[in-house]
Amino acid sequence: MRTLTLVASYPLCPIVSFELCRQASNKLFFPCNISEKLAKASRVHKTYQLKAGFWESIKSGILNNNTTQVVEPPSTLPEEEEEPLPQEFVLIEKTEPDGTVEEIIFSSGGDIDVYDLQALCDKVGWPRRPLSKLAAALKNSYMVATLHSVRKSPGSEGNDQKKLIGMARATSDHAFNATIWDVLVDPGYQGQGLGKALVEKLIRALLQRDIGNISLFADSQVVEFYQNLGFEPDPEGIKGMFWYPKY
Amino acid sequence: MELKWVSRRSRGGKIQMEKTMKTPSESKPKAPATLQALVPVFISTNPSHVNPDDLSDLFIACNLSCHRFPNYVDAGGGRCVVEAVDLHKLRVALSHSSVLVSVFCKPNDVIGCSSSFLKEKQQQQKKKIVGFGELLQNVVMPVTPLNSQLVGFGRAVSDLGLTASIYDVMVLPSLRGMGIGRMIVKRIIRMLTSRDIYDIAALCSENERSFFKVCGFGDDILGSTAMMYTRSSVSTNPQDNQIVKRAGRKLLLVPPLSKTLPYSKTMKS
Repeated sequence: MRTLTLVASYPLCPIVSFELCRQASNKLFFPCNISEKLAKASRVHKTYQLKAGFWESIKSGILNNNTTQVVEPPSTLPEEEEEPLPQEFVLIEKTEPDGTVEEIIFSSGGDIDVYDLQALCDKVGWPRRPLSKLAAALKNSYMVATLHSVRKSPGSEGNDQKKLIGMARATSDHAFNATIWDVLVDPGYQGQGLGKALVEKLIRALLQRDIGNISLFADSQVVEFYQNLGFEPDPEGIKGMFWYPKY
Repeated sequence: MELKWVSRRSRGGKIQMEKTMKTPSESKPKAPATLQALVPVFISTNPSHVNPDDLSDLFIACNLSCHRFPNYVDAGGGRCVVEAVDLHKLRVALSHSSVLVSVFCKPNDVIGCSSSFLKEKQQQQKKKIVGFGELLQNVVMPVTPLNSQLVGFGRAVSDLGLTASIYDVMVLPSLRGMGIGRMIVKRIIRMLTSRDIYDIAALCSENERSFFKVCGFGDDILGSTAMMYTRSSVSTNPQDNQIVKRAGRKLLLVPPLSKTLPYSKTMKS
């Protein structure tokens, strides 16, 4: 925070029109006799503009009031802050009697096809949501963890069947709060601990970045599932509320 | 970004006069209330108006923390205050919040509002006389983020597609009960609904519940339960390699890294 003090050598009429004020808000006006100190103090930075309105600058000089401040926009974040490194590894590997190998691959890179996701949501019985909104939500989520099943037949080389069988995503402000949304696993693959693995990986990634407030909104039938994972319902009286538009 | 007037008497019936500087077509002139109890505030959704240092001071003034389960330190005299917010983390959080709403007020008005009720009556008497002069001052030197104090704040984190969560809504204790908090929440909701997001959630503690109810929030229509991760330790064996992370006064257990599942179901034929 720097304080700008302009020394005006002549009194000005106190009535200034609004329009002038507004137009001047993005530029710094220098009166003719300006003190040398100000010229050295002002620094033109390419990423922000000095937001000292014309009237404010004169007023601060006349009233000897040093509360005029220059507010900097949020500074560019330090380079060491990274997005969660995408991981991909095989969670389960099974070999069928006929030699087909099925791998269940966990991935946190967010590489997901919206149509596949829509089909998976239909499979678990969720209401349909607009695809564009789904895509935007996935793009702006802090982390999207997916499970794909890859089946490799022994005979046909390079003819792998890849299928989306699970997903979980979390939104966050990257520092304090995170909310886990949309945890789903293909019904044919449920009961194997896949959902648990998805959620645990999310929690691990969030905690490693010191994001401590991890919350979610659980349907009544899955409250117990999340309790087993370490979640507490309404902890210390904290409840979730949703907005209801009044038409 | 707008200049608004809030009234001290808004506990019962709210009387507000709205004056927008940017779009005159939006201004809704209401019956002008008596000028004594009106305080001009400036509401902004511009992220660059939020100064993290001022915001940190506001957190302390409201005795709030970014952590849901904050650490309380003994401030002497039996008072328990929250520990200060980590400024770097606050900057990160602000830069990743989809909506930031800040409310500013002139320092004189902040002091004036925090005076006791008796004193206020005397002030109101005085204000009757200088009412016009003050109005002129407010017109000529309006409240802007540069010449005033941060008194209210609210933010929301969203995936800009389906959902949003509101966090950290706060108003300086001396200026509560005037409709500023409601103004902040209304503005956040307006920003979100204009981007077509209607699934807006807010995690609130016991004393915040009635406030959000007034703002139009209620229990989830689908009956979902809000849950938070609070697991601190699974085993009492100190030799187990358990990593924990501190979040306020909670020590959260980091789930262990296990690349393969402990068991795999045999394939159904």
